[in-house]
Amino acid sequence: MNKKHNLFPYIRRIAFSNSLDTCITLFILLAVFLLSTITIKWLLFGADWAVVIQNYPLYAFGLFPADQRWRPALWLLLLISLTIITLVGPRWRWLRKLLPITWIGVIPLGIVLLSGGLGLLPVASRYWGGVTLTIFLTTCSSLLAFPLGIILAIGRQSDLPLIKFFSSIYIEALRAVPLIAILFFGQLLIPLFFPIGVEINRVIRAVLAFTLFVSAYVAEDIRGGFQSIPKSQEEAAKALGLSKLQITQFVILPQALIIALPALTNQAIGLLQNTSLMAILGLVELLGISRSILANPLFIGRYMEVYVWLAGIYWLICTVMALLASHLEQKVTIEKLTIKN
Amino acid sequence: MRIKRYRGLFIQVIVSTLFISIVALFINNLSVNLLRAGLGLNFSWLFRSAGFALAEHPLPYSPSSSYAWALFMGWLNSLKVISSSLLIATLIGFLVGFASTGTNTLLRILSKLYVTLIRQTPLLLQLMFWYFVGFLSIQGEIFSPIKGMLSLSNQGIILSGINLSPEFSSLLVGLGIFTAAYISEVVRGGINSVPIGQWEAFRSLGLSENDGLYKIIMPQALPAILPGLTSQYLNLAKNSTLAIAVGYADIYAIGDTVITQTGRAIEGFLLLLLSFLLLNLIISNLMELLNKYILTYKQR
Repeated sequence: MNKKHNLFPYIRRIAFSNSLDTCITLFILLAVFLLSTITIKWLLFGADWAVVIQNYPLYAFGLFPADQRWRPALWLLLLISLTIITLVGPRWRWLRKLLPITWIGVIPLGIVLLSGGLGLLPVASRYWGGVTLTIFLTTCSSLLAFPLGIILAIGRQSDLPLIKFFSSIYIEALRAVPLIAILFFGQLLIPLFFPIGVEINRVIRAVLAFTLFVSAYVAEDIRGGFQSIPKSQEEAAKALGLSKLQITQFVILPQALIIALPALTNQAIGLLQNTSLMAILGLVELLGISRSILANPLFIGRYMEVYVWLAGIYWLICTVMALLASHLEQKVTIEKLTIKN
Repeated sequence: MRIKRYRGLFIQVIVSTLFISIVALFINNLSVNLLRAGLGLNFSWLFRSAGFALAEHPLPYSPSSSYAWALFMGWLNSLKVISSSLLIATLIGFLVGFASTGTNTLLRILSKLYVTLIRQTPLLLQLMFWYFVGFLSIQGEIFSPIKGMLSLSNQGIILSGINLSPEFSSLLVGLGIFTAAYISEVVRGGINSVPIGQWEAFRSLGLSENDGLYKIIMPQALPAILPGLTSQYLNLAKNSTLAIAVGYADIYAIGDTVITQTGRAIEGFLLLLLSFLLLNLIISNLMELLNKYILTYKQR
């Protein structure tokens, strides 16, 4: 149907096809109109954005010492430019080959830039905060949870009963417990399990707790990938004389990971959102620092502005992550196709 | 063949020895640490008086009640908020799910917008929004269509004489709306899994869209919807522990208080795990019953 020439019947078909539809459409139009006038009025006249504008450095870096702020700033800038290059950068071969290594390398670089060492002034982890800490927790935990999840998924598929038993118990137990309980465990109980004198800082403890939690979910997603691969693949590989390890490594796992990619993306986005739980447990990541800002008498009662601003930031980061993942997905599918041909 | 079997055994022995020794090391460290702090593992503190007040308790409770009783109140509070937001989430979720598969394009766009908005922001932020912006900053009664039946104010929701606290109300709304977005996706997936021919068939038989949806499509979609629905309910139960952020005394919030007061971190944590396990078991068993009921109903 040519929409341009039949605009009127088209609108009629999609929104006014019967009396109930007409009622619903009119009601929605009215509600949207009312809501948008209220929102625009509030944005223009009601809101006082001083609470956001005056606190940009806090939202970005938390309580990081002012003269050292260039370090988290540099790291965030690197991440942003890497994202831009990955998504819309030139398609030079050498650049594309370099990108995966750079992405992995940017995480240890972040650790060094934040914590100091190698000639940089050490900064204690209690000064880390804001978006920097949110992204730091997300990237570190997902990087650690990914291999652990793969191992658990393979363990759960294993023919060896004991290994299967341990992996299943771990996965099921972690999935039955709320995240906040695991994080609580990480903050209060992990120190009890280490010998006296061994101090692990709070951020690392949070990363460990997130890793333990997310790896169980990653394992289940990858197991879903395993199960959707036809049995004939394994048999074919066996017939070619591949060992069990080789079959998993070269035949099953790569395919399972491609299938699990969308689910893994959702896990990463969920992880980013879940880092906000650390606000309850005393880290000043994005939500935590906002709670501190809202406790400042200067900005009392400015909840709406701060929450709208936070929702915008979280939405932006989630969207960028989803874009990166779909880029990866495309790339992987293209590679798969080129191998086939 | 024989070598292979021994290799498997060998790997298992190594992995389990490693695993057990790590666990043993941790437990050893733990007991050393607990001994140094003068805290042996025991549960007798549960029967000492708790000493803190609770704003909400379904059964009689006073600060002189025992820790065990306080924890039980928390568990009941959890059950209360889970079951009521579960109802709201299911209702909204199914409605939005229907809307997103329906014929009205505007409604489809709107439900898509709702799902994206809810899924791209953290639940904790949403709960704080509902609590601090949604309830605490209301001035006066803003919404009371029928006097005494339903009213909204910074004292919470009053529903035909029952007063729901602002903490409970914001959790109810926040968890309900958050979970509904996920449930609507499950419902949409279930409806889309019914072959398109079924729609064409009931339309050609002259059934209305509504009749067709309820009598033809939903009975076929439900078996596909139920597993997803169960996992969303379990997620809801787990997410309800964020109640601590708005100051609602659920099992986690009370457990946290108890652990801070008594210093009994390990025992308190074990009790928390046990109570979550109980909640999970209740939900999954109820859903299993529902699943069985629907399957037998379908066969009739």
